[in-house]
Amino acid sequence: MPPDSVAALLQRHRVNENLNAAVIPAAARNTLDLAADAVVGPLDERIIEATGAALDAGHTHYEPVPGIDGLRATLAQHLNEATGAQYEAANLLVTAGMQESRFLTLQLIDAGDGAIALPEVVHPGARKALGARPRETVSLVVDAERRLPRLAAIRAALEGGSRLLYIESPSRLSGATLDGDEMAAIAALLADHDAGAIIDRGLAPWASGSVAAPTARVALIGEAFPGAGIDSWLAGYIAVPQDWLPPIQSQKQIMAICTATPAQFGALEAGSLYAEEQPARLAHMQALRAGLQQRARAAGLDVLAGGAAGLLALRLSPSQKSEGLARLAAAGYQVADGSDFGAPDVLRLTVCDAARAALDLLADA
Amino acid sequence: MPERERKKSGTNLLYSMMAEAASYDDAVILGRGDPDFDTPEHIIAAAKEAMVQHHSDTAPPEGLPALREAIAARVERVSGVAYDPATEVVVTNGGQEALFLMVLTLIGPGDEMVVPEPNYNTYLDSTRFAGGRQIEVDTFPHQNFRADPADVRRAVNERTKALLLVSPNNPAASVISPQDMRDLAQIACDHDLFIISDEIYDLFVYDDVVHTSAAAMPGARERTLTLNALSKAYSMTGWRVGWVTGPAPLMERLRELKAAITGATSIISQYAGIAALTGPQEPVQMFADTYVRRRRVVLDALDEMGIEYGVPEGGQFIFADIGFTGLDSMQFAQRVLSEQHVLVYPGSAFSEARKQYIRMTFLQPEGTLREGMERMKFAMEGIRADIGNGSAR
Repeated sequence: MPPDSVAALLQRHRVNENLNAAVIPAAARNTLDLAADAVVGPLDERIIEATGAALDAGHTHYEPVPGIDGLRATLAQHLNEATGAQYEAANLLVTAGMQESRFLTLQLIDAGDGAIALPEVVHPGARKALGARPRETVSLVVDAERRLPRLAAIRAALEGGSRLLYIESPSRLSGATLDGDEMAAIAALLADHDAGAIIDRGLAPWASGSVAAPTARVALIGEAFPGAGIDSWLAGYIAVPQDWLPPIQSQKQIMAICTATPAQFGALEAGSLYAEEQPARLAHMQALRAGLQQRARAAGLDVLAGGAAGLLALRLSPSQKSEGLARLAAAGYQVADGSDFGAPDVLRLTVCDAARAALDLLADA
Repeated sequence: MPERERKKSGTNLLYSMMAEAASYDDAVILGRGDPDFDTPEHIIAAAKEAMVQHHSDTAPPEGLPALREAIAARVERVSGVAYDPATEVVVTNGGQEALFLMVLTLIGPGDEMVVPEPNYNTYLDSTRFAGGRQIEVDTFPHQNFRADPADVRRAVNERTKALLLVSPNNPAASVISPQDMRDLAQIACDHDLFIISDEIYDLFVYDDVVHTSAAAMPGARERTLTLNALSKAYSMTGWRVGWVTGPAPLMERLRELKAAITGATSIISQYAGIAALTGPQEPVQMFADTYVRRRRVVLDALDEMGIEYGVPEGGQFIFADIGFTGLDSMQFAQRVLSEQHVLVYPGSAFSEARKQYIRMTFLQPEGTLREGMERMKFAMEGIRADIGNGSAR
């Protein structure tokens, strides 16, 4: 019989809706995993060699809290090339993956007295991060096609007192991106209202062309070098103005001390190869996605507007979705359910060869 | 660094001292709990193998099933407590995340946790994050910093939600005796409290002292969360692999928090962890035997210097009283660092009430420890001279 204190504690947690948000599941055994936002690619032998060499050289001890210097510098350079920013290593903090990036920024960046403005369609990890220590939130309405927050909604939230926005570009659900004009408008709104933003641009390496992102008053977060085959090694980043870093770094120390050394040295080598390797990976994925999109549309499926090459999001009627999910499950497929993101009419598939058969099952639903 | 800049949390203070020590080429580091041994070769080999065979494996937030099974087996072997690996084990990013998750699971705004004083500074940071408060129970060097159960019982009130038990303790190196552990567990049962048990140093106890697990006590299992990690036992501080064990209802909530805070733990580190727990255990015994000798080197030197300490019954630290110098621990640690390039941690980083103590590790080779102790003796001579001149401060 559990003690009374256990029952009381469980009740306290039970009412925390954000904490109870879904987790995108890891693939179960004998399941074809189409739930990820990009397929995990092959691993370059040079990454294995470099990581092994680092371990052999004694990099098995604590490393600095914000990350090893070389990786911070490599991430800064990568972001500067991708966004036109002028980050230095000192702006970067290495995290144990995307979820820690979400948690540290959503929990530690000052939101003033206002609520944090969160898109009504967002990766469930953002809600979970807010649930760990509940913070007040306000919902940003999204557009129907891209599932990205409307500018009018952002303006209203800021005028209503919000001082911190959370935005995904590309969207973790649809893969759609905010364009340069929209980002410039958001930057102006942030300046006008003395507000800040957290921008998840983790899927940007899977989008064609540059993905705009302001850097003043902004924390950029994402995975370190997605596509390089080190996704489950779990290295991520937070790039912030330097005066935003101390509380984030302090909390990182409190809850982790540092990021795992194999992940950091793997990411360091992946970063040095990225400019050479990622364009071919992107082109391959874009071609695969274009084929899947064509197949879906030919079968009468409604594909959401989106540019990130790693995923394909479909809008379905309630009956189509429930029957489609049942068919997929029976065939051993696992996909991401838009309900977990706040979009119950959407299913998201990983772009890969196996997605063709999954699309056919959905088309028959 | 000027002292005014060190008016920070204990955690930040230690980091600023580490940064200063890193600037000295000849520094002797007796501060951080990071064993000097590199990770055993068979564990590194397993990590390399995992990079080839399992680089794209995914794991749920609670960790790979094989690692959780290995953890459950280890806990039952060492502590005598059986846990279901499917529902009662969660893998974490080292003991540090385990600690944070345990506090966040059990402590909410306004809740109080009774803690031995001194204790590891991150407990205070985590409790503050959760909106809770620590109620400290004094411990004393003449009792080797063991918390008296009677004092703990007196500290409990209606806002108390949990007892923190750290055995072996950091920084004071005390070990809770089997009888005291039984009494402390009884207090938790009597007042319907949770127990947070930090047992990260459970394999390192000295002389005739034995380690006792809180969860093994009558009535305790269903209210106890226990942390441990590979960092200290296998010299794997950089890999960030730890765990929490506890009853399924609590672990379900802890798992949700793990998913909210960091999600899964790095897959390569998890495979290395499987190798550590299921592979040869001789390195752990070799480390433990070595620490026995090293501990003796430091204790002998402290005796020569006339510095008193609580006899470290376990763990990897010595908590020593430098109050007789007239310096507070920050001044003392700063002077030894600046003049002799020896890093020891000021007791004030762990507790405001321990300004007359320093924490030292014995995780360096014996030659390095002897060198560090010689330098400290040299510093002490200067301090004693200053005491004679009435100018120790």
